[in-house]
Amino acid sequence: MQTAEQCQKLYETLEKKINRNFALSASVCVHCGMCADSCHYYVATKDPKMSPAYKADKIRSLYKYRHDWLSRIAPFWTGARTLKTPEELEDLHDICWGSCTMCRRCTINCPMGVDMALLIRSGRAMLLAADSIPEGVKAVCKDQYEIGNQMGITRQDYLETIEWLSEEHANDVGDPRAEIPLDKKGANVMYVVNPREVKYAPLTLLAAAKIMYAAGESWTMPSEGWDNTNFGLFAGDDKLGGLMGQRLFEKAQELGVNKVVVSECGHGYRATRWEAPNWAKMDLHFPVESFLVTMSNYLREGRITLDPSRNKTRVTYHDPCNLGRSAGITEEPRALLKRCVADFVEMHPNRADNWCCSGGGGAMSMPEYNKRRLEAAIVKADQISATGAKIVATACHNCIDALEDLIRRYKLNMKTATVGELVAEALIWPKAAEEEEIFAIDGIEPVKLAPGEKRKKILVIDDEADVRTYLTTLFEDFGYETIEAADANQGMRMVKEYHPDLITLDIIMPKKTGIKFYWELRKEEKLTDIPVIIVTGFGEPEFPNVNFKKFITERKVPSPEGYVEKPIHRAELLKKVHDVLYV
Amino acid sequence: MSYESLVEFLKDEAQIAALSFMAVIYALKIWGIMKKNPIQDRTPNHGNPKEGVRYSFTVIAMPWEMQVYRDHPMKYIEFTIFHLAIAAAIASTFIIPYWPDVMLKSWIMLPSLLFIAAGFLCGLLRLIARLTSPAMRAFSVPDDYFSIILLNVYLISAMIAIPNSAATATDPMIWSIVLFFGLTAFFLIYVPFSKISHYLLWPFNRYYLGKHFGKRGVYPKNSAGLRAADL
Ligand code: SF4
Ligand code: SF4
Repeated sequence: MQTAEQCQKLYETLEKKINRNFALSASVCVHCGMCADSCHYYVATKDPKMSPAYKADKIRSLYKYRHDWLSRIAPFWTGARTLKTPEELEDLHDICWGSCTMCRRCTINCPMGVDMALLIRSGRAMLLAADSIPEGVKAVCKDQYEIGNQMGITRQDYLETIEWLSEEHANDVGDPRAEIPLDKKGANVMYVVNPREVKYAPLTLLAAAKIMYAAGESWTMPSEGWDNTNFGLFAGDDKLGGLMGQRLFEKAQELGVNKVVVSECGHGYRATRWEAPNWAKMDLHFPVESFLVTMSNYLREGRITLDPSRNKTRVTYHDPCNLGRSAGITEEPRALLKRCVADFVEMHPNRADNWCCSGGGGAMSMPEYNKRRLEAAIVKADQISATGAKIVATACHNCIDALEDLIRRYKLNMKTATVGELVAEALIWPKAAEEEEIFAIDGIEPVKLAPGEKRKKILVIDDEADVRTYLTTLFEDFGYETIEAADANQGMRMVKEYHPDLITLDIIMPKKTGIKFYWELRKEEKLTDIPVIIVTGFGEPEFPNVNFKKFITERKVPSPEGYVEKPIHRAELLKKVHDVLYV
Repeated sequence: MSYESLVEFLKDEAQIAALSFMAVIYALKIWGIMKKNPIQDRTPNHGNPKEGVRYSFTVIAMPWEMQVYRDHPMKYIEFTIFHLAIAAAIASTFIIPYWPDVMLKSWIMLPSLLFIAAGFLCGLLRLIARLTSPAMRAFSVPDDYFSIILLNVYLISAMIAIPNSAATATDPMIWSIVLFFGLTAFFLIYVPFSKISHYLLWPFNRYYLGKHFGKRGVYPKNSAGLRAADL
């Protein structure tokens, strides 16, 4: 393409990219320079051309030349300009692709709130139209367009890998029936991954499988639309972004899953959860969740138990920019790490203020900028080595690659791990029945599970935390898996999400009573068969004259499978539960 | 036109005309931005957009929330004094024409002068930083230098004019009033075209940024700590 044609295409795209946010970010900068010290490129090099304001001006100046009144009359006065020469194009290419990871650290430190990533992504879109795109990025985009994933993994290779991993998983958990399900219709979760997990890091995928097995999750991987990464985000290519999203969302719809869970990939989660529905112009009828959230929910609901002593080495956590600064996921990984490692230490600054790993924005696919990237990485290297940790955990495969690169470059004595890998390492497996310490209460014995048989899942709904703890501990001791909800609304959400085998239900709860919950449950076609045992004081002290039993059945709904009065008689409750579930 | 009526004209009609001009240009500028498409977002909220907007507007009063001000608190003090001094100088352009004696009350005049002088010093520091820092020089354009010099001159003119708020046309110091109001009129006409118009665009940009980050649960930044309690 000739330079003139390139410039024309570039300007056409600029016009398409201008929306309200772009116009504001392109107009509001006061050149105060406050952002310089928030950018790792500038901090590491002190090169004036690496300050965010300088970089953003390369794009801003093109906008101003066409859209700002004063700039149109006196461009020199405001620094507005137009592109004409190959050198100027090359300069813009260098700035947009090679000197910004779109980490947005400068944005949250800018008093005016200039969205640097928005400007740079628009600049990349303009360059893409002008065919000024790094070879590495071009190749990845091509693979996503044509093959459907960023590493060009063929369908056959993918299916064979999943089959092999499925066998590994069964060995791993010692259950021949355990599997990595593929295209399982009606599963609760559709799990989508970064192709790196399939090609280079199967241990991460195995760790996820192990965690979901331990949690008794009903999940599946899709045979199509499985790549959660989306180079449309980095390349400024909304069309590719929409296409990748569409493939994934349509597969989720076809399988009828309740939610999509995105494996530990920063930009993959951001693109799938926040950007792709807009690019694809699709209204989703299922949530998109990060695996970090899924795991922390398992932990909170008691579906997995962790032993931190299994990970004794000191661990710190790096917040991927796309999770911490662009998706608001900062606490879930910490909640998990604090429960699965013995010595967790924060790096500073952290969360939304954390430094970029230096490999974001597609930088790992542009080897021509490796030298600059690794030079800028000294900021991160200093930050992580100051923690004294031996493992830097993160929730992004791109960050893992970048961190490993900088660990090698700066000779740090550290390793990397995903959060899931550390969680999987710390999992405490439910003991097989024969190994279980057998004890009995009034002749009631713990459930004896056949090898590989899954424990029955009981949802305990009670507003009193003490009662929940008491009941869940009792049920767990007797061989059941438990989840809990503190009110009826939360309970209903959990019923829909986890399909428990049995519910124990309190009656008097704030917000909504157990009676109302019961009526609603019995009305729901898919849920109506779930057995319910009411655990309450029928003569609730606050309502001595009210017959709650009558209330429950007054709407001509079937009676609950059992009533147990508080104070609870353990043997009576356990017998009732056993009879409902097994007899 | 007599000198006296020129002074009165500068203090009154010229200001009103310049202000009206500024208002029209600003209105057009905002209209130009608002007629551009807003970003359509169909994703469900993770955080609270309203909370995000609130945080986005108030973060400027929370220097501990921004790295540069955490690391360089003096920069924040400089920023605050400079902007408040300009606000004080602008406020005096409304007071002097109608209530000149108010400005002369020593409990108003002395603090105002001290404050504006401090603002001028901060402005000077900002100019020096722009001239001496290689990073600042790399992206500074004539409008940046002109705007900071203009504001510094404006602050000096305010300092000279305020003690002469009640000067009449025959007063030898009346030139200070002429200079101050002449500069104000120029200022009002130039500002909408220059980078100084940032204060008009600031609320819009911070609104959209706050909404965006609030929706995603990134803003308010410290809410992350609160959410942790639920886990
Ligand atoms: S901090 Fe914001 S306003 Fe200041 S120079 Fe940087 S981008 Fe521009
Ligand atoms: S987005 Fe990140 S890499 Fe880009 S200029 Fe800002 S701080 Fe630097």
